[in-house]
Amino acid sequence: MKATTIYDKGHQWIMFGRDPEKPESIIDTNQYMIVAGNRALLMDPGGIEVFAPMLGAILHHAKVDEITDIFASHQDPDIISSLGLWDQALPHAKLHSPWLWEGFLRHFGMNNIEYVGIPDEGNELNLGEVDVRFIPAHYLHSSGNFHVYDPKAKILMSGDVGAALEASEAPLFVEDFDEHIPKMEMFHKRWMPSNRAKNDWVKRVRTLDIEYMAPQHGRIFKGENVARFIDWFEALEVGVAIP
Amino acid sequence: MGAPTEPVEDKLVALASIAAELHSVMGVVWSVSLAGKNAKVISAQAGDKGLGFRPITESIDEISQQAIRGVDDISSEALRLSKIAVHEQRSIDAYQRFNSVIKKNVDAKYIKTILPAVNKVEQSMRASISEFKKSMNNLTLLLETMDQCMLTARAVASVSRIVTSSGQEYRDKLTVVSNDLDKAARYIKQRLLNSYRHLNNVNAQR
Repeated sequence: MKATTIYDKGHQWIMFGRDPEKPESIIDTNQYMIVAGNRALLMDPGGIEVFAPMLGAILHHAKVDEITDIFASHQDPDIISSLGLWDQALPHAKLHSPWLWEGFLRHFGMNNIEYVGIPDEGNELNLGEVDVRFIPAHYLHSSGNFHVYDPKAKILMSGDVGAALEASEAPLFVEDFDEHIPKMEMFHKRWMPSNRAKNDWVKRVRTLDIEYMAPQHGRIFKGENVARFIDWFEALEVGVAIP
Repeated sequence: MGAPTEPVEDKLVALASIAAELHSVMGVVWSVSLAGKNAKVISAQAGDKGLGFRPITESIDEISQQAIRGVDDISSEALRLSKIAVHEQRSIDAYQRFNSVIKKNVDAKYIKTILPAVNKVEQSMRASISEFKKSMNNLTLLLETMDQCMLTARAVASVSRIVTSSGQEYRDKLTVVSNDLDKAARYIKQRLLNSYRHLNNVNAQR
């Protein structure tokens, strides 16, 4: 599992992914962690299959008992099916996830970790040295869905929005936006079910100052590519499986 | 080339199968119980003439009650065992994954901080293994007791036939009851045999 520090000014943002040992048959995922002093927030920690490489990679950057918080943007297995294992590794941690999914996520096995349901309108989490905001992204693609915004680092962890399906050795950042479009077009058209939800999200994130948009699959958008993505997404017709 | 071997049944499947075998027995046991109670009523209605049948009808009723309790106990124990097995499997899985993290990341700065979690998981795993053993022994004992109960049931059915052969007006009704008891006992014995086979599969994997 490769770990790349994408922000390091007082607190750090670390991206984990591009695991060369990942079985071919499972989708490549990006996991993120904010390290702020002696507290860390692990975001969309991934499925059971990536648990061991993830934990191994994390232990280069933070102590186990410093990982005080976990965030799951929604309920999908590639996001959080490792919960039962984190539950045994981090028994004192808190899981922040949509309130809507609590009863479902507990099926992954949660006997120790505390579930902190995020209300529909979102809220904030204080990590000591930094506050992050849970931004509503309902129906993008899950009925209860949030993204994480760090106003200090100007990073939006955007879950499945901005995701691209490509090889696990792909570069970390989008270099040529136009060239990147075919890698994400089908994903957004099919996985995102609602134009109304999409436009609501577009309106909301346009009010945020974003330098990096970090999705759960594919590459990170940086600088002007963030605005280009938002414009492209706004114009895209989604929910195409309905004839 | 060796002889082909039968695939080993998964431990969790084997335990669920025991519960399923016993579930199918419950209906039979209840119908015997009902028949036993019916036999008691018949012998009571017979007044003095039915006195000779009473010990038999009492025995049938007692055996069916014992069988109901036995099936309940076995089902509960099999369910408990399944839960312990799932917990044990989860602990083993976590333990193995934690150890693979340690093995592959010896150079990680904070690798030692995972050790308390590894120890805790190891303790939980060992506790589950020990609890599983105890529960397996309980289940074996319960199956043996039930087996004994069915032997008694068959013996009572035989005696019942002899007694009813000397009876008169209630003979037919009680013969039906004793035949049902014998049939049920044979059916339950077969289910117990199947349960033993599943239990052996669980033991083979330990």
